[in-house]
Amino acid sequence: MESASEYPPELSRLPPGRHGLPREFVIHNQHERLIAGLAEAVAEKGFANTTIADITRHAAVSRRTFYEHFNSKDECFVKAYDTVMEQLRERVAEAYQSEDDWPRSIKAGIAAMLGFLASEPNLARLCMVEALVAGPVVVERYDAAIQSLVPYFREGRKGRPRDVLDRLSPTTEEALVGGMVSLVSRRIFAGRTDDLEQLLPDLVEFALTPYLGSAEAAKIARES
Amino acid sequence: MRPPPGRQQLPREFIARHQRQRIITALAEEAVEKGYRAVTVADIVRRAGIARNTFYENFSSKEDCFLAAQQYAVDESLRRVVEAASSVESWPDRVRAGLASFLRSVATEPALARACFVEALSAGPEAMAGYEESLQAFVPLFRIGRKVSSQGNELPETLEETIVGGIFWIIYQRVVAGETAEIERLLPELIEFSLTPYVGPKAARRTASEPSP
Repeated sequence: MESASEYPPELSRLPPGRHGLPREFVIHNQHERLIAGLAEAVAEKGFANTTIADITRHAAVSRRTFYEHFNSKDECFVKAYDTVMEQLRERVAEAYQSEDDWPRSIKAGIAAMLGFLASEPNLARLCMVEALVAGPVVVERYDAAIQSLVPYFREGRKGRPRDVLDRLSPTTEEALVGGMVSLVSRRIFAGRTDDLEQLLPDLVEFALTPYLGSAEAAKIARES
Repeated sequence: MRPPPGRQQLPREFIARHQRQRIITALAEEAVEKGYRAVTVADIVRRAGIARNTFYENFSSKEDCFLAAQQYAVDESLRRVVEAASSVESWPDRVRAGLASFLRSVATEPALARACFVEALSAGPEAMAGYEESLQAFVPLFRIGRKVSSQGNELPETLEETIVGGIFWIIYQRVVAGETAEIERLLPELIEFSLTPYVGPKAARRTASEPSP
Protein backbone atom coordinates (compact mmCIF):
# COMPACT_ATOMS: atom_id res chain seq x y z
CA MET A 1 0.00 0.00 0.00
CA GLU A 2 1.03 3.59 -0.59
CA SER A 3 2.13 5.63 2.40
CA ALA A 4 -0.73 7.84 3.47
CA SER A 5 -1.24 11.59 3.80
CA GLU A 6 1.49 12.90 1.56
CA TYR A 7 0.85 14.96 -1.52
CA PRO A 8 2.39 13.73 -4.74
CA PRO A 9 5.73 15.45 -5.38
CA GLU A 10 4.17 18.01 -7.72
CA LEU A 11 1.90 19.20 -5.00
CA SER A 12 4.43 19.40 -2.23
CA ARG A 13 5.06 22.76 -0.63
CA LEU A 14 8.11 24.93 -0.57
CA PRO A 15 9.05 25.64 3.03
CA PRO A 16 8.10 29.21 3.86
CA GLY A 17 10.73 31.88 4.41
CA ARG A 18 13.92 32.87 2.62
CA HIS A 19 15.57 30.01 0.85
CA GLY A 20 17.97 31.37 -1.76
CA LEU A 21 16.80 28.87 -4.39
CA PRO A 22 17.27 29.50 -8.11
CA ARG A 23 14.53 31.69 -9.59
CA GLU A 24 13.30 29.11 -12.05
CA PHE A 25 12.88 26.59 -9.28
CA VAL A 26 10.97 29.09 -7.21
CA ILE A 27 8.63 29.89 -10.09
CA HIS A 28 8.01 26.24 -10.75
CA ASN A 29 7.44 25.61 -7.10
CA GLN A 30 5.06 28.55 -6.79
CA HIS A 31 3.00 26.99 -9.52
CA GLU A 32 2.75 23.72 -7.62
CA ARG A 33 2.02 25.53 -4.39
CA LEU A 34 -0.88 27.31 -6.01
CA ILE A 35 -2.25 24.01 -7.21
CA ALA A 36 -1.92 22.50 -3.74
CA GLY A 37 -3.48 25.68 -2.32
CA LEU A 38 -6.44 25.29 -4.63
CA ALA A 39 -6.91 21.65 -3.63
CA GLU A 40 -6.95 22.63 0.05
CA ALA A 41 -9.26 25.59 -0.44
CA VAL A 42 -11.68 23.55 -2.54
CA ALA A 43 -11.68 20.75 0.04
CA GLU A 44 -12.57 23.32 2.67
CA LYS A 45 -15.26 25.34 0.90
CA GLY A 46 -16.14 23.58 -2.33
CA PHE A 47 -15.24 24.83 -5.79
CA ALA A 48 -18.13 27.28 -6.14
CA ASN A 49 -17.31 29.14 -2.91
CA THR A 50 -13.54 29.15 -3.29
CA THR A 51 -12.06 32.56 -4.10
CA ILE A 52 -8.64 33.45 -5.44
CA ALA A 53 -7.92 34.94 -2.01
CA ASP A 54 -8.54 31.49 -0.46
CA ILE A 55 -6.14 29.88 -2.91
CA THR A 56 -3.35 32.41 -2.33
CA ARG A 57 -3.81 32.17 1.45
CA HIS A 58 -3.45 28.37 1.40
CA ALA A 59 -0.52 28.60 -1.01
CA ALA A 60 1.07 31.45 0.99
CA VAL A 61 1.77 33.50 -2.12
CA SER A 62 0.58 36.93 -3.21
CA ARG A 63 -2.39 37.65 -5.41
CA ARG A 64 0.01 39.03 -7.98
CA THR A 65 1.89 35.75 -8.05
CA PHE A 66 -1.39 33.94 -8.69
CA TYR A 67 -2.01 36.06 -11.78
CA GLU A 68 1.53 35.48 -13.02
CA HIS A 69 0.63 31.80 -13.25
CA PHE A 70 -3.09 31.66 -14.00
CA ASN A 71 -5.68 33.92 -15.54
CA SER A 72 -8.53 32.70 -13.40
CA LYS A 73 -9.72 30.32 -10.72
CA ASP A 74 -11.06 28.08 -13.49
CA GLU A 75 -7.68 27.84 -15.16
CA CYS A 76 -6.01 26.99 -11.86
CA PHE A 77 -8.63 24.32 -11.22
CA VAL A 78 -8.14 22.73 -14.62
CA LYS A 79 -4.39 22.62 -14.07
CA ALA A 80 -4.87 21.05 -10.64
CA TYR A 81 -7.28 18.53 -12.09
CA ASP A 82 -4.84 17.55 -14.83
CA THR A 83 -2.01 17.16 -12.33
CA VAL A 84 -4.01 14.89 -10.04
CA MET A 85 -5.38 12.80 -12.89
CA GLU A 86 -1.92 12.36 -14.34
CA GLN A 87 -0.79 10.95 -10.99
CA LEU A 88 -3.78 8.68 -10.74
CA ARG A 89 -3.39 7.43 -14.29
CA GLU A 90 0.28 6.63 -13.73
CA ARG A 91 -0.43 4.70 -10.53
CA VAL A 92 -3.19 2.68 -12.17
CA ALA A 93 -1.11 1.91 -15.27
CA GLU A 94 1.87 0.84 -13.19
CA ALA A 95 -0.22 -1.44 -10.98
CA TYR A 96 -2.03 -2.92 -13.96
CA GLN A 97 1.26 -3.76 -15.67
CA SER A 98 2.73 -5.28 -12.52
CA GLU A 99 0.55 -8.40 -12.93
CA ASP A 100 0.73 -10.97 -15.71
CA ASP A 101 -2.78 -12.25 -16.01
CA TRP A 102 -5.65 -9.93 -16.85
CA PRO A 103 -8.00 -10.52 -13.89
CA ARG A 104 -5.20 -9.81 -11.43
CA SER A 105 -4.10 -6.79 -13.44
CA ILE A 106 -7.61 -5.39 -13.11
CA LYS A 107 -7.59 -6.10 -9.41
CA ALA A 108 -4.21 -4.39 -8.98
CA GLY A 109 -5.39 -1.38 -11.00
CA ILE A 110 -8.55 -0.97 -8.92
CA ALA A 111 -6.54 -1.37 -5.71
CA ALA A 112 -4.11 1.34 -6.86
CA MET A 113 -6.96 3.72 -7.64
CA LEU A 114 -8.64 3.15 -4.28
CA GLY A 115 -5.30 3.41 -2.45
CA PHE A 116 -4.46 6.73 -4.07
CA LEU A 117 -7.89 8.23 -3.43
CA ALA A 118 -7.99 6.99 0.16
CA SER A 119 -4.56 8.41 0.96
CA GLU A 120 -5.38 11.81 -0.57
CA PRO A 121 -8.88 12.78 0.52
CA ASN A 122 -8.54 16.40 -0.69
CA LEU A 123 -7.35 15.35 -4.11
CA ALA A 124 -9.95 12.59 -4.26
CA ARG A 125 -12.65 15.15 -3.67
CA LEU A 126 -11.14 17.51 -6.19
CA CYS A 127 -11.07 15.07 -9.06
CA MET A 128 -14.14 12.93 -8.35
CA VAL A 129 -16.64 15.37 -6.86
CA GLU A 130 -15.59 18.98 -7.41
CA ALA A 131 -14.76 18.31 -11.05
CA LEU A 132 -18.46 17.67 -11.57
CA VAL A 133 -19.45 20.66 -9.45
CA ALA A 134 -17.16 22.87 -11.51
CA GLY A 135 -19.22 21.78 -14.48
CA PRO A 136 -18.38 23.11 -17.91
CA VAL A 137 -14.81 24.01 -16.89
CA VAL A 138 -13.58 20.44 -16.70
CA VAL A 139 -16.49 18.24 -17.59
CA GLU A 140 -15.04 17.13 -20.90
CA ARG A 141 -11.78 16.20 -19.22
CA TYR A 142 -13.68 14.32 -16.55
CA ASP A 143 -15.64 12.33 -19.12
CA ALA A 144 -12.48 11.59 -21.09
CA ALA A 145 -10.67 10.44 -17.93
CA ILE A 146 -13.40 7.93 -17.20
CA GLN A 147 -13.46 6.74 -20.79
CA SER A 148 -9.69 6.24 -20.62
CA LEU A 149 -10.31 3.34 -18.22
CA VAL A 150 -12.43 1.45 -20.78
CA PRO A 151 -9.50 -0.13 -22.71
CA TYR A 152 -8.25 -1.88 -19.53
CA PHE A 153 -11.53 -3.75 -19.36
CA ARG A 154 -11.87 -4.32 -23.09
CA GLU A 155 -8.56 -6.21 -22.83
CA GLY A 156 -10.54 -8.83 -20.90
CA ARG A 157 -12.31 -9.91 -24.09
CA LYS A 158 -9.09 -11.33 -25.51
CA GLY A 159 -9.04 -15.12 -25.59
CA ARG A 160 -12.50 -15.53 -24.03
CA PRO A 161 -14.68 -18.35 -25.33
CA ARG A 162 -17.29 -17.60 -27.97
CA ASP A 163 -20.29 -17.81 -25.60
CA VAL A 164 -18.74 -15.23 -23.29
CA LEU A 165 -17.96 -12.83 -26.13
CA ASP A 166 -21.49 -13.25 -27.44
CA ARG A 167 -23.02 -12.09 -24.24
CA LEU A 168 -20.87 -8.97 -23.87
CA SER A 169 -22.52 -5.92 -25.39
CA PRO A 170 -20.84 -2.88 -26.98
CA THR A 171 -21.51 -0.89 -23.80
CA THR A 172 -20.42 -3.51 -21.24
CA GLU A 173 -17.13 -1.78 -20.42
CA GLU A 174 -18.65 1.69 -20.27
CA ALA A 175 -21.32 0.48 -17.86
CA LEU A 176 -18.73 -1.29 -15.68
CA VAL A 177 -16.45 1.72 -15.51
CA GLY A 178 -19.34 4.13 -15.00
CA GLY A 179 -20.78 2.00 -12.21
CA MET A 180 -17.46 1.70 -10.40
CA VAL A 181 -16.66 5.40 -10.68
CA SER A 182 -20.16 6.25 -9.52
CA LEU A 183 -19.83 4.10 -6.40
CA VAL A 184 -16.42 5.54 -5.56
CA SER A 185 -17.65 9.11 -6.12
CA ARG A 186 -20.66 8.55 -3.88
CA ARG A 187 -18.42 7.44 -1.02
CA ILE A 188 -16.16 10.47 -1.49
CA PHE A 189 -19.18 12.79 -1.74
CA ALA A 190 -20.46 11.34 1.53
CA GLY A 191 -17.07 12.05 3.15
CA ARG A 192 -16.32 8.33 3.50
CA THR A 193 -12.88 8.37 1.89
CA ASP A 194 -11.58 6.14 4.70
CA ASP A 195 -13.85 3.30 3.58
CA LEU A 196 -12.74 3.32 -0.04
CA GLU A 197 -10.28 0.45 0.18
CA GLN A 198 -12.94 -1.81 1.65
CA LEU A 199 -14.72 -1.60 -1.69
CA LEU A 200 -11.97 -3.59 -3.42
CA PRO A 201 -13.55 -7.08 -3.33
CA ASP A 202 -16.98 -5.77 -4.39
CA LEU A 203 -15.58 -3.78 -7.30
CA VAL A 204 -13.34 -6.61 -8.48
CA GLU A 205 -16.18 -9.10 -8.43
CA PHE A 206 -18.47 -6.66 -10.23
CA ALA A 207 -15.86 -5.89 -12.89
CA LEU A 208 -14.80 -9.47 -13.59
CA THR A 209 -18.18 -11.22 -13.54
CA PRO A 210 -19.14 -10.49 -17.17
CA TYR A 211 -15.87 -12.01 -18.38
CA LEU A 212 -15.23 -14.87 -15.96
CA GLY A 213 -18.64 -15.69 -14.52
CA SER A 214 -19.62 -14.93 -10.96
CA ALA A 215 -17.93 -17.89 -9.22
CA GLU A 216 -14.46 -17.26 -10.66
CA ALA A 217 -14.87 -13.48 -10.27
CA ALA A 218 -15.80 -13.90 -6.60
CA LYS A 219 -12.83 -16.19 -6.01
CA ILE A 220 -10.31 -13.71 -7.42
CA ALA A 221 -12.03 -10.84 -5.63
CA ARG A 222 -11.57 -12.54 -2.27
CA GLU A 223 -7.96 -13.66 -2.74
CA SER A 224 -5.64 -11.71 -0.48
CA MET B 1 -50.47 25.50 -23.95
CA ARG B 2 -51.38 28.88 -22.40
CA PRO B 3 -54.83 29.19 -20.84
CA PRO B 4 -57.17 30.90 -23.24
CA PRO B 5 -57.40 34.63 -22.53
CA GLY B 6 -60.57 35.89 -20.90
CA ARG B 7 -62.31 32.66 -20.07
CA GLN B 8 -60.78 31.30 -16.90
CA GLN B 9 -63.14 28.54 -15.95
CA LEU B 10 -60.50 26.00 -15.13
CA PRO B 11 -60.14 25.22 -11.45
CA ARG B 12 -57.54 27.40 -9.75
CA GLU B 13 -55.58 24.40 -8.60
CA PHE B 14 -55.32 23.06 -12.13
CA ILE B 15 -54.05 26.37 -13.42
CA ALA B 16 -51.54 26.65 -10.61
CA ARG B 17 -50.13 23.18 -11.25
CA HIS B 18 -50.08 23.77 -14.97
CA GLN B 19 -48.23 27.04 -14.48
CA ARG B 20 -45.59 25.46 -12.28
CA GLN B 21 -45.01 22.77 -14.84
CA ARG B 22 -44.71 25.31 -17.62
CA ILE B 23 -42.12 27.27 -15.67
CA ILE B 24 -40.16 24.11 -14.89
CA THR B 25 -40.17 23.10 -18.54
CA ALA B 26 -39.06 26.58 -19.57
CA LEU B 27 -36.11 26.42 -17.17
CA ALA B 28 -35.07 23.00 -18.49
CA GLU B 29 -35.29 24.16 -22.11
CA GLU B 30 -33.32 27.33 -21.45
CA ALA B 31 -30.67 25.26 -19.68
CA VAL B 32 -30.30 23.01 -22.73
CA GLU B 33 -29.68 26.06 -24.86
CA LYS B 34 -27.23 28.02 -22.75
CA GLY B 35 -26.30 25.87 -19.76
CA TYR B 36 -28.03 26.18 -16.39
CA ARG B 37 -25.61 28.71 -14.95
CA ALA B 38 -26.18 31.25 -17.68
CA VAL B 39 -29.97 31.03 -17.44
CA THR B 40 -31.69 34.02 -15.80
CA VAL B 41 -35.18 34.35 -14.34
CA ALA B 42 -35.88 36.76 -17.22
CA ASP B 43 -35.09 33.96 -19.71
CA ILE B 44 -37.43 31.56 -17.94
CA VAL B 45 -40.24 34.12 -17.74
CA ARG B 46 -39.91 34.93 -21.44
CA ARG B 47 -39.94 31.31 -22.56
CA ALA B 48 -42.80 30.34 -20.26
CA GLY B 49 -44.81 33.34 -21.44
CA ILE B 50 -45.73 34.42 -17.93
CA ALA B 51 -45.33 37.53 -15.81
CA ARG B 52 -42.26 37.90 -13.62
CA ASN B 53 -44.61 38.10 -10.63
CA THR B 54 -46.07 34.73 -11.52
CA PHE B 55 -42.59 33.22 -11.43
CA TYR B 56 -42.01 34.58 -7.94
CA GLU B 57 -45.43 33.44 -6.77
CA ASN B 58 -44.27 29.90 -7.56
CA PHE B 59 -40.55 29.96 -6.82
CA SER B 60 -38.26 32.03 -4.66
CA SER B 61 -35.32 31.90 -7.09
CA LYS B 62 -33.83 30.22 -10.13
CA GLU B 63 -32.23 27.65 -7.81
CA ASP B 64 -35.57 26.92 -6.16
CA CYS B 65 -37.10 26.42 -9.60
CA PHE B 66 -34.28 24.07 -10.61
CA LEU B 67 -34.73 21.91 -7.52
CA ALA B 68 -38.46 21.74 -8.24
CA ALA B 69 -37.73 20.68 -11.82
CA GLN B 70 -35.40 17.98 -10.59
CA GLN B 71 -37.88 16.78 -7.98
CA TYR B 72 -40.70 16.73 -10.50
CA ALA B 73 -38.69 14.79 -13.08
CA VAL B 74 -37.42 12.23 -10.57
CA ASP B 75 -40.84 11.68 -8.94
CA GLU B 76 -42.57 11.43 -12.28
CA SER B 77 -40.11 8.99 -13.88
CA LEU B 78 -39.97 6.87 -10.74
CA ARG B 79 -43.78 6.77 -10.61
CA ARG B 80 -43.86 5.57 -14.21
CA VAL B 81 -41.14 2.99 -13.59
CA VAL B 82 -43.03 1.52 -10.65
CA GLU B 83 -46.29 1.56 -12.59
CA ALA B 84 -44.70 -0.21 -15.58
CA ALA B 85 -42.98 -2.74 -13.33
CA SER B 86 -46.18 -3.60 -11.47
CA SER B 87 -47.92 -4.49 -14.71
CA VAL B 88 -45.87 -7.71 -15.02
CA GLU B 89 -45.22 -10.63 -12.71
CA SER B 90 -41.65 -11.91 -12.50
CA TRP B 91 -38.78 -9.78 -11.21
CA PRO B 92 -36.70 -9.96 -14.42
CA ASP B 93 -39.74 -8.82 -16.41
CA ARG B 94 -40.25 -6.01 -13.92
CA VAL B 95 -36.68 -4.82 -14.40
CA ARG B 96 -37.23 -4.92 -18.14
CA ALA B 97 -40.51 -2.97 -17.97
CA GLY B 98 -39.07 -0.48 -15.50
CA LEU B 99 -35.95 0.17 -17.58
CA ALA B 100 -38.05 0.53 -20.73
CA SER B 101 -40.20 3.11 -19.00
CA PHE B 102 -37.17 4.96 -17.67
CA LEU B 103 -35.52 5.19 -21.08
CA ARG B 104 -38.80 6.35 -22.56
CA SER B 105 -38.96 9.18 -20.01
CA VAL B 106 -35.48 10.28 -21.06
CA ALA B 107 -36.39 10.08 -24.75
CA THR B 108 -39.64 12.01 -24.40
CA GLU B 109 -38.37 14.66 -21.97
CA PRO B 110 -34.81 15.34 -23.16
CA ALA B 111 -34.61 18.78 -21.54
CA LEU B 112 -35.64 17.49 -18.12
CA ALA B 113 -33.32 14.52 -18.56
CA ARG B 114 -30.45 16.88 -19.21
CA ALA B 115 -31.33 18.90 -16.12
CA CYS B 116 -31.30 15.74 -13.97
CA PHE B 117 -28.35 13.88 -15.43
CA VAL B 118 -26.02 16.71 -16.41
CA GLU B 119 -26.89 20.12 -14.98
CA ALA B 120 -27.78 18.78 -11.52
CA LEU B 121 -24.14 17.89 -10.94
CA SER B 122 -22.98 21.49 -11.17
CA ALA B 123 -26.11 23.25 -9.90
CA GLY B 124 -25.07 23.42 -6.25
CA PRO B 125 -25.00 21.13 -3.22
CA GLU B 126 -28.76 20.68 -2.94
CA ALA B 127 -29.09 19.65 -6.58
CA MET B 128 -26.16 17.26 -6.13
CA ALA B 129 -27.87 15.79 -3.08
CA GLY B 130 -31.03 15.43 -5.18
CA TYR B 131 -29.01 13.56 -7.80
CA GLU B 132 -27.67 11.21 -5.12
CA GLU B 133 -31.20 10.61 -3.83
CA SER B 134 -32.49 9.86 -7.31
CA LEU B 135 -29.77 7.26 -7.80
CA GLN B 136 -30.49 5.76 -4.40
CA ALA B 137 -34.22 5.56 -5.16
CA PHE B 138 -33.55 2.86 -7.74
CA VAL B 139 -31.38 0.73 -5.46
CA PRO B 140 -34.24 -1.08 -3.64
CA LEU B 141 -35.89 -1.98 -6.96
CA PHE B 142 -32.81 -3.97 -7.95
CA ARG B 143 -32.19 -5.30 -4.48
CA ILE B 144 -35.34 -7.38 -4.73
CA GLY B 145 -33.38 -9.46 -7.26
CA ARG B 146 -31.42 -11.03 -4.41
CA LYS B 147 -34.53 -12.93 -3.44
CA VAL B 148 -34.86 -14.57 -6.85
CA SER B 149 -31.13 -15.15 -7.26
CA SER B 150 -29.70 -18.55 -6.33
CA GLN B 151 -26.67 -16.73 -4.92
CA GLY B 152 -28.55 -13.78 -3.43
CA ASN B 153 -26.69 -13.93 -0.14
CA GLU B 154 -23.25 -13.93 -1.71
CA LEU B 155 -23.64 -10.97 -4.03
CA PRO B 156 -21.46 -7.94 -3.27
CA GLU B 157 -23.12 -5.56 -0.82
CA THR B 158 -22.67 -2.59 -3.17
CA LEU B 159 -23.91 -4.36 -6.32
CA GLU B 160 -27.12 -2.36 -6.74
CA GLU B 161 -25.39 1.00 -6.36
CA THR B 162 -22.88 -0.01 -9.00
CA ILE B 163 -25.57 -1.21 -11.40
CA VAL B 164 -27.61 1.98 -11.07
CA GLY B 165 -24.41 4.05 -11.35
CA GLY B 166 -23.50 2.21 -14.55
CA ILE B 167 -26.93 2.78 -16.06
CA PHE B 168 -26.84 6.47 -15.09
CA TRP B 169 -23.39 6.84 -16.64
CA ILE B 170 -24.49 5.31 -19.94
CA ILE B 171 -27.51 7.61 -20.02
CA TYR B 172 -25.41 10.62 -18.99
CA GLN B 173 -23.08 10.10 -21.93
CA ARG B 174 -25.93 9.82 -24.42
CA VAL B 175 -27.58 12.93 -23.00
CA VAL B 176 -24.33 14.91 -23.20
CA ALA B 177 -23.89 13.76 -26.80
CA GLY B 178 -27.48 14.82 -27.60
CA GLU B 179 -28.41 11.24 -28.51
CA THR B 180 -31.55 10.96 -26.41
CA ALA B 181 -33.81 10.18 -29.38
CA GLU B 182 -32.10 6.81 -29.90
CA ILE B 183 -31.68 5.99 -26.23
CA GLU B 184 -34.37 3.30 -26.16
CA ARG B 185 -32.15 1.15 -28.37
CA LEU B 186 -29.95 0.59 -25.35
CA LEU B 187 -32.70 -1.34 -23.59
CA PRO B 188 -31.49 -4.89 -24.30
CA GLU B 189 -27.91 -4.07 -23.27
CA LEU B 190 -28.98 -2.41 -20.05
CA ILE B 191 -31.32 -5.29 -19.18
CA GLU B 192 -28.49 -7.78 -19.60
CA PHE B 193 -26.09 -5.62 -17.65
CA SER B 194 -28.55 -5.35 -14.75
CA LEU B 195 -29.85 -8.90 -14.65
CA THR B 196 -26.69 -10.96 -15.27
CA PRO B 197 -25.34 -10.77 -11.70
CA TYR B 198 -28.65 -12.07 -10.32
CA VAL B 199 -29.91 -14.63 -12.81
CA GLY B 200 -26.81 -15.45 -14.84
CA PRO B 201 -26.02 -14.60 -18.46
CA LYS B 202 -28.41 -17.04 -20.17
CA ALA B 203 -31.57 -16.01 -18.37
CA ALA B 204 -30.55 -12.34 -18.64
CA ARG B 205 -30.16 -12.71 -22.39
CA ARG B 206 -33.55 -14.37 -22.65
CA THR B 207 -35.31 -11.52 -20.88
CA ALA B 208 -33.39 -8.93 -22.86
CA SER B 209 -34.30 -10.41 -26.21
CA GLU B 210 -38.04 -10.68 -25.65
CA PRO B 211 -39.96 -8.32 -27.91
CA SER B 212 -40.41 -4.80 -26.56
CA PRO B 213 -43.38 -4.29 -24.28
